[in-house]
Amino acid sequence: MTGSAVLNTVAIGDIQAPHLEYGQLGPMLLVFGVAVLGVLVEALVGRGWRQFIQVPLTFAGLAGAFVWILVLGVKDKPLHVAAEGAVGVDAPTLFLQGTILVLALVSLLLIADRQNGAFTPQASALPGSDAEREGIASGTVQSELYPLMLFAVGGMMLFTAANDLLTMFVALEVMSLPLYIMCGLARRRRLLSQEAAVKYFLLGAFSSAFFLYGTALLYGYAGSVRLSDIATATGNNAGSEPLLLAGIALLSVGLLFKLGAVPFQAWKPDVYQGAPTPVTALMASCTLVAAVGATLRVFYVALENMSWDWRPMMWGVAILTMLVGAIIAITQTDLKRMLAYSSIAHAGFLLTGVIATSQAGLSGTLFYLAAYGFTTIGAFAVITMVRDAGGEAGHLSRWAGLGKRSPVVAGVFAFFLLAFAGIPLTSGFTGKFAVFKAAIDGGATPLVVVGVISSAIAAFFYLRVIVVMFFSEPAADGPAVVTTIPTAAAVALGATVTVVLGVLPQPMLDVAGQAASHLFVR
Amino acid sequence: MTTLDVVFVLLGVVAVGAAVLVVTTRQLVHAALWLVVSFGALAGGYLMLTAEFVAWVQVLIYVGAVVVLLLFGIMLTRAPIGRSADLDSGNRWAALAVALATAGVLVTVLVRGFRTAYAPLDVAGQGAAKPLGESVFRIWVLPFEVLSVLLLAALVGAIVLSRREI
Amino acid sequence: MKCTTEGIAGFGCDPWWLIGGKALVIFVFLVLTVLLSMWVERRVIGRMQLRIGPNRCGPFGLLQGLADGVKLALKEDIVPAGVDKVVFWLAPVVSAVPAFISFIIIPFGPTVSIFGHQTQLQGTDLPVAVLLVLAMSSMGIYGIVLAGWSSMSPYSLLGGLRSSAQMISYEIAMSLSFVAVFMFAGSMSTSQIVAGQQHIWYGVLLLPSFLIYIITMMGESNRIPFDLPEGEGELVGGFHTEYSSLKFAMFFLAEYINLATLSALATTLFLGGWHAPPPITTIWAGANSGWWPVLWFLIKIWAFIFFFIWLRGSLPRVRYDQLMKLGWKVLMPISLGWILLVATIRTASREGLNQTQLLIYGGITIAVVLVGSFAWDLVATSGRQVDPYAEPERATAAEPAQGGFPVPPLDLPHYHGVLPETAARKEVSSGTH
Repeated sequence: MTGSAVLNTVAIGDIQAPHLEYGQLGPMLLVFGVAVLGVLVEALVGRGWRQFIQVPLTFAGLAGAFVWILVLGVKDKPLHVAAEGAVGVDAPTLFLQGTILVLALVSLLLIADRQNGAFTPQASALPGSDAEREGIASGTVQSELYPLMLFAVGGMMLFTAANDLLTMFVALEVMSLPLYIMCGLARRRRLLSQEAAVKYFLLGAFSSAFFLYGTALLYGYAGSVRLSDIATATGNNAGSEPLLLAGIALLSVGLLFKLGAVPFQAWKPDVYQGAPTPVTALMASCTLVAAVGATLRVFYVALENMSWDWRPMMWGVAILTMLVGAIIAITQTDLKRMLAYSSIAHAGFLLTGVIATSQAGLSGTLFYLAAYGFTTIGAFAVITMVRDAGGEAGHLSRWAGLGKRSPVVAGVFAFFLLAFAGIPLTSGFTGKFAVFKAAIDGGATPLVVVGVISSAIAAFFYLRVIVVMFFSEPAADGPAVVTTIPTAAAVALGATVTVVLGVLPQPMLDVAGQAASHLFVR
Repeated sequence: MTTLDVVFVLLGVVAVGAAVLVVTTRQLVHAALWLVVSFGALAGGYLMLTAEFVAWVQVLIYVGAVVVLLLFGIMLTRAPIGRSADLDSGNRWAALAVALATAGVLVTVLVRGFRTAYAPLDVAGQGAAKPLGESVFRIWVLPFEVLSVLLLAALVGAIVLSRREI
Repeated sequence: MKCTTEGIAGFGCDPWWLIGGKALVIFVFLVLTVLLSMWVERRVIGRMQLRIGPNRCGPFGLLQGLADGVKLALKEDIVPAGVDKVVFWLAPVVSAVPAFISFIIIPFGPTVSIFGHQTQLQGTDLPVAVLLVLAMSSMGIYGIVLAGWSSMSPYSLLGGLRSSAQMISYEIAMSLSFVAVFMFAGSMSTSQIVAGQQHIWYGVLLLPSFLIYIITMMGESNRIPFDLPEGEGELVGGFHTEYSSLKFAMFFLAEYINLATLSALATTLFLGGWHAPPPITTIWAGANSGWWPVLWFLIKIWAFIFFFIWLRGSLPRVRYDQLMKLGWKVLMPISLGWILLVATIRTASREGLNQTQLLIYGGITIAVVLVGSFAWDLVATSGRQVDPYAEPERATAAEPAQGGFPVPPLDLPHYHGVLPETAARKEVSSGTH
C-alpha cells in the first residue's frame, strides 16, 4: 500500500460534523474573534503602540457586533435555536445582546480614557513598591484590558443566549473570569482593588459550584440540560420531585449571586468600591443585563411549569433585595458603595419583572435594563470626574458644595440620582412603571407595594446626596472636576438616554414589546 | 450484592474517608496527598462504571497534573514537615455543622432521586473515547469551543497579574 | 460478555492461570531487562569512552547488575533526622509501582496458543490503553516530588521540583505527539495501533511525531541530555540525594523500567510493534505469526535502549532554561502545527480533494510561514542583541558567601517552614555524611 492509499483509509467511524449557523452566531463569534485578535496584538506589537491599536479594534468589534445584531433583528424573524441547540437566537436575546453591546461601548469610552488613569500601569507590581513607581513613571498602560473586556462581553452575550445549562455555565465562567482580573487593576488604592478581585473570585467560584450542582441535579431529573427538555419533563412530571426542587434551588443561588440579590449580595459593595470605576460601570450595567437575561430565560423557559413552586421563594428574595438594598444604602458614606447598594435594590425591582412571567413582564424588564444601564454608567462616569489628589473623591463629604463649584456636573449627577429614584420624566420612572404594572397584572400587588415603599426609602438617600451637593458650603481643598472628552461623552450619552426614555419612552417600549412578543425560543 | 458492588462501595468509602482526611489533617502536604487518594478512588469508581476514558483522564488530569501543581504551589511557598498549628480554625464546629447539613440534604436528595435509576453497564465500547468525542464535537461543540476562549482569557489574566515587562 | 480471541473484547476471557502467568512473565521480563540494561549501559559507555567496562562478575561481567543489586540491598538504610518518615518511605514505592503497571498494555506479539488456549501476547488491553501509560507516568512524578520534599534538604527539594516541572512539561508534548497516531489508528488501544501498522509504520508516515516523541522521551526519562534533576554540579543527587539502600534501589529500578517502557511504547506506536521489519516479510511470509514476533519486538526495544545509551555517551547536558524553552516553545507549537496539518490533509483527502495539489499548496504555505517567521526573527532580534549569559544585576549583599557560587544554605528555613534550631540537625554538620 502506498502512502496516499494509507491516507485515504478511514479508520474512524464517521463522526458527523456539527451544523453551525454562523450567520446567527455571528455577533458572539465576532466579539470573541476580535478578542483573540487583541491577544495577538498584545503579543506582536510594541508596548507604546498597543493602546492605539487596541482601542479602535475593540470599538470596531463591539460596534460591528451591534450592527450585525440589528441586521439579524430586522431582516428575519429571529426565533431559532442554533449551534446544535446550544444557543437560542430570538428577539429578547437579540435585544439583550444589543443592550449589552451598546452599554459596553459606552463603558469603553470610560475604560479607554487615558487621562482618567483609572488603571494600574502594571498589575504585577506590589503596591507601594519601586516597580509600581517605575511603571507609573513610564506612562504605559496594561492594554491586556481590552481583550479581557471583549472576552467578558462575549461571555455575557452567550450567557443571555444559552439554551442549555451547560452552555450557560461555560458562558458564566467566560463572563466572570475576565471581570475578576479587571477588578484588581485599579491604579489608586491597589490593596482595596486586589481585595475586591480576590473576594469576587472566591465568592464567584463558590456560586459557580452551586450553579453546577443545580445543573447536575436538574440533569438527573430531566435526563437533559436543555432548557426546553427540562420544561417538557416538568410538564410531564417525569422524574423525582426532590431532585427538581433541589436543582432549582441551587441553580437559583448561582443566578441570584450574579444578580446580587439578597442574601447573595455581600460581594457587590466591596467589589464595586474596589474595582476601577470604569470596570464598575461595566459590571453594574452589562453584567446585570446578562445576569437578568439568563435568569429570565431559565425561569421563563425551563421552569415555566414550576412557577407555583419557585414563585414564593422568588417573592421572598425580591422583597428582601429591594428592602435590604434600600435600607443599607442609607448608612453608606462612600458614593460607589452607595451606588452598589442602589444596584442591589434595582436588582430587586428587576426580579419583580421576572416573577410576573408574562409578556408584559418580559418587555418591562427589557426596557428597565436598557434604561437603568445607561443611567448607571452615567452616574459612575460622573464619579470618575470628581477627583482630588488621591484620585477619585469617593467619600460623600468630599462632594459637599459641588453644586456651587460645578453646577453642570452636580446637576447631571443629581438627575441620574433622581432617575434611580424613579421620579417622573426620567427613564427610571418609566421602567419601574412598566415592571410594576406587569407585576400587578400577574397578581403580585404586595410585591409592588414593597417595591414602592423601598423606592421611597431609596429616594431618601438619593436626595441626601443632592442636598449635600447643593446646600452645603464647599470645602477649601475640595475635589476638582476633571473633564475629558470620552468621559464627558459617556456622561452626555447616559443623560440623553435617561431623558429621552423618560420623556418619550414609547418607541423604546415598542421595541421592547416587540422583542418580547414571542417570548423565548424553546 | 456482587463483587463489583462491594468494590464500588469500598471505593466510595475510600473517596469519602480520604476527603475527610484532607480537611482534618494538620499537615499541609498530607492534605494534598489525601486529595490524591480521593481522586484516585473516584477514578476507580468511574472504572467500575465502565467509563474508562473518563477514569484515565481523571487520573491524568486531576491526579497527575492538578494536585502536582497544587503541591508545587505549597512547596514553593511554604511546605513545613510536620504539623502546622495554624491549619485549624475557630469556626470548625460551625463548618462541621454546615458541612453535615449540606451533605445530609444532598445525600437525601440523591438517594431519593436515583434510588430506582439504573443504567446498563455492559454496552460494548461505551467507555471508549468515541462516544464522548461524538457528543463533545457535535452537540456540545459551541460550549467546547467557548471553553478554549475561557482558557485563553485565564492565561492572559494570569500573565497580567504575575508577569513584569510584558 | 462473549469471549472471542480477536480484538479488545478478547482480553479478560483468559483463564486465571493465564492472566497470572502473563503478569508474572512481564514482571520477570522487566526485572531481567533492568539488570541487563544496566550491564549493557556500562559496557557500551565504557567502549565509547575507550575503556572496557565491568568484566569481573560472571562471563563478560554479565552478573554485575546482580552484584550491584545485592550490594545496594545490604547497605545501611539511612533515614535522615527530621524527615517525614511516612512520605519518605512512600516516595520510592510510588515511583516504582506505576513503572511496572504501564508495561501491562504493551503487546509482545499476536495471538498464540498457550497450552491449548488462544490468547494474545499482551497483559491486557483497554480502549484507552495509551492514556493508561500517560496516567502512570504522571503518577510516577509523585514519587519524585515527594522524595524531594520529604528528605528535608534544599537540594532534594529543588531537584524534585525541577524534575517534576520538566516531566510535566514534556508529558504535554509527548501526549501531543501521540495524537497523530491516534488519528490514523482510530483507536487508543495498543493492540489496534499495532494492527494499524501492518503495511506502513507510523514512524515513517508520521515522522515529525516520531521525532518529537524521541525528544520528549528523553526528557520524560530524566536522562542525559535532560538529566537536570540530578545535575551533580548544582544539586548533588537531586531528589534522591538523601536516599540509600533499598529505597534508592527502587528509584534506580523505576528509572530503568521507565527506559524500557518508553522504548516499548515507541516500538508499539511508531515502529510497528511486533511486526517484522519490511524486508523480512517480503521474503518470509511466516515472520508475523506464531512466536517469531516476540523476537522482532525485543530487537526493536533493545535498539531503542542502545540508542538511549548512545545518546548518553555522546551528548552534554543542556541548561535548565534551554530545556524548558525547548519543551514549551519548540516542541509543543510544532506538535500542534503538525497535528493541524495531519488533520487537514486527512479531512481533505477524505473529502476527495486532489492529493498532489494539496501537498504542493500545503508545502508552499508551510515554506512561506517558515521563511516569514525566520525573517521576522532576524528583523526582530537584529536590533537588540541581548546576551543571555549576562549576569543579572544583583545586590551583592544577598550573595551567599560560599565560594561565590550560589549554593542554597542547607538549613534555609524557607523551604520547610522550620527554623534551623528545631530541625534536628545537631549532630551532622553539613555535607560530611
